Amino acid sequence: MTAVIEQQTMNRTEPRTRFNEVWRVVRLHAVTPSVFFGIPWIILGGAWAVSMIVGIIITGASADVAEMGEGMRYSWAVLSPQWYLVAVGVQAIGMTLSFALGFGATRRDFWLGTSLMFGIVSLLNAVAIATLVQLEKATGGWWIGISMFDALWYGQNGWLVDFYTTLALQLLVLFIGASITTVYLRWRMRGMMILIFGAIALMLAAVALATFTESWPTIVEWLGGIGIVGMFTVVLGLAAFFAIGGYFVIRRATPR
Amino acid sequence: MTRTVVRAGGLTKRYGTFTAVDAVDFTLEENRIYGLLGRNGAGKTTVMQMLTGQIFPDGGTLDVFGREPAEHADVLRRICFIAESQRYPDSFKPSHVFTAAPWFFEHWDAEFAERLVHDFRLPLNRYVKKLSRGQLSAVGVIVGLASRAPLTFFDEPYLGLDAVARHIFYDRLLEDYAEHPRTIVLSTHLIDEVANLLEHLLVIDQGRILLDRDADEVRGSATTVAGGRAAVESFVADRAVIGRESLGGLASVTIDERLGQADRIRAAELGLELAPVSLQQLIVHMTGTDLRADPTEQEVAA
Amino acid sequence: MDESRPIFIQIAEQVENDIIEGSLPEGSQIPSTNEFAAFLRVNPATALKGVNRLVDDGIVEKRRGIGMFVTQGARARLIERRRADFATEYIRPLIIEAEKLGIDIDELAGLLRAERINS
Repeated sequence: MTAVIEQQTMNRTEPRTRFNEVWRVVRLHAVTPSVFFGIPWIILGGAWAVSMIVGIIITGASADVAEMGEGMRYSWAVLSPQWYLVAVGVQAIGMTLSFALGFGATRRDFWLGTSLMFGIVSLLNAVAIATLVQLEKATGGWWIGISMFDALWYGQNGWLVDFYTTLALQLLVLFIGASITTVYLRWRMRGMMILIFGAIALMLAAVALATFTESWPTIVEWLGGIGIVGMFTVVLGLAAFFAIGGYFVIRRATPR
Repeated sequence: MTRTVVRAGGLTKRYGTFTAVDAVDFTLEENRIYGLLGRNGAGKTTVMQMLTGQIFPDGGTLDVFGREPAEHADVLRRICFIAESQRYPDSFKPSHVFTAAPWFFEHWDAEFAERLVHDFRLPLNRYVKKLSRGQLSAVGVIVGLASRAPLTFFDEPYLGLDAVARHIFYDRLLEDYAEHPRTIVLSTHLIDEVANLLEHLLVIDQGRILLDRDADEVRGSATTVAGGRAAVESFVADRAVIGRESLGGLASVTIDERLGQADRIRAAELGLELAPVSLQQLIVHMTGTDLRADPTEQEVAA
Repeated sequence: MDESRPIFIQIAEQVENDIIEGSLPEGSQIPSTNEFAAFLRVNPATALKGVNRLVDDGIVEKRRGIGMFVTQGARARLIERRRADFATEYIRPLIIEAEKLGIDIDELAGLLRAERINS
């Protein structure tokens, strides 16, 4: 009977280390690259194309270019792929977990691999977007004064801040989608209801507390004090909270 | 010589007040082909889901390759579970499934998989959600066979497969099993079709194991005696009766007994007809109602 | 395959029939367990049981690393065994049926002779 075990060990196609078991989940997510890379960049590309067309029309109508740039500062086009990434987070768990478990992955390795995938995607997107911001500024708004990437808080504090804030935001949207889906897989509709109403109740309680103690000015002041970087550190903290929460919830989740 | 790969003791699974699997005990020995038989909702899938770590038992002990399966990578990498309703990510085509398979199954045989794709005429570049039921089953069957996992579960693997495709499955299964012995659990209600492939039978009904015996012992272990009611009743008087039908003065009684030569002669002298009971008929008797009334099976037959 | 009896017995009987009919002469090789399994679509363990039954009865012998071969004198032994069972397996049911129909022994003998000429 030991002969069988030895034979199996010899026939292994690749070494089975812990990392390998996590890495194969990353590869599983990446086997159809359209989900994590293709569609988000098509959305962003589409938003960019629309901005360009709008820019060309406005320039053609010989409006004030400086004023246009100021108007575009409040365009959310740069954030357009983020909403889709929440859905990617949902899909990554809702569709792929059942498949990975059927293929013999553990929930633990699946969550770690998925988190690693989220990390890689967020890192690449953050580098790309922060670089595009610089590129847009360097080309004077793609030669026609467009500011799609150089918008909202972007383009004001240098490449590193843009990179950091994008990274934090990407991680948050992916982990929100993923961790909420783990709640559904573990406790089904009842869990979702408790989660949603619990979250709403908690938020209302916080708002009420802040209102009754008249601490809104203090909160606004605090937020102003920590600045953009501080605020996105809070975002990163929330992402970590969802990541860790999801890990514990998924350990006993059962896909349909 | 043979090793026990699965040992379940008092294994239980409840869903609310419904007990899907009720304190079952059984073992699976290495390198045998098992039939997990029973009606829809009998608990077959639940048992397999527990054995493969997909769901968590509510009671009892479960030992697969020496430990509890759920969340143990060293156990799970030796298991392949082809679920009846296996879900695939929407973005997947069969080609993606077969690309990812070798990362998870260390004994994956890509050449064998390719041959099976050809045998089943499976389109590799169509989205999984656009495949027919039979093509979807073929994806599962190919993964199950080509993975060569030491413990492989097929849960109703043939749904939507036509008779030709089913026989390809049986043939490839036997061929490959002969060359690469492994433990295979086949859950099905097309019992007569697979009966000869099975070495051991586990019949489950309402969450309990009704029968746990070698297929050879079971085959021919029951006989149907038909004829005049009085003659039939006198013949079966001291025997274990598992089924009884009558029409006017005629009766047809199924007994859980293999008849010897002396009994056969006596039956002939009484003018009784003896008929062998197929495995499927036997299980129909054991699990109550006629399996042939099962709508899923009619769909398969059609 | 007949449902009423274990498959391994039927496999053994099939080989025995081939030996008695001469299509498997003494000293010839019989198919391997896996060949039986694939051809008859049965579990290889079942086929092995059938072959082992023949080995136990001394009808075939294992030659290490080559395969299974029909032993010398196997045919004669099989015929002897079948003859011994002939009365209970065939004659007895025949007589029961004949009595049911009111055919006496002489008439039965006549029928047997007539059938033999016809066939």
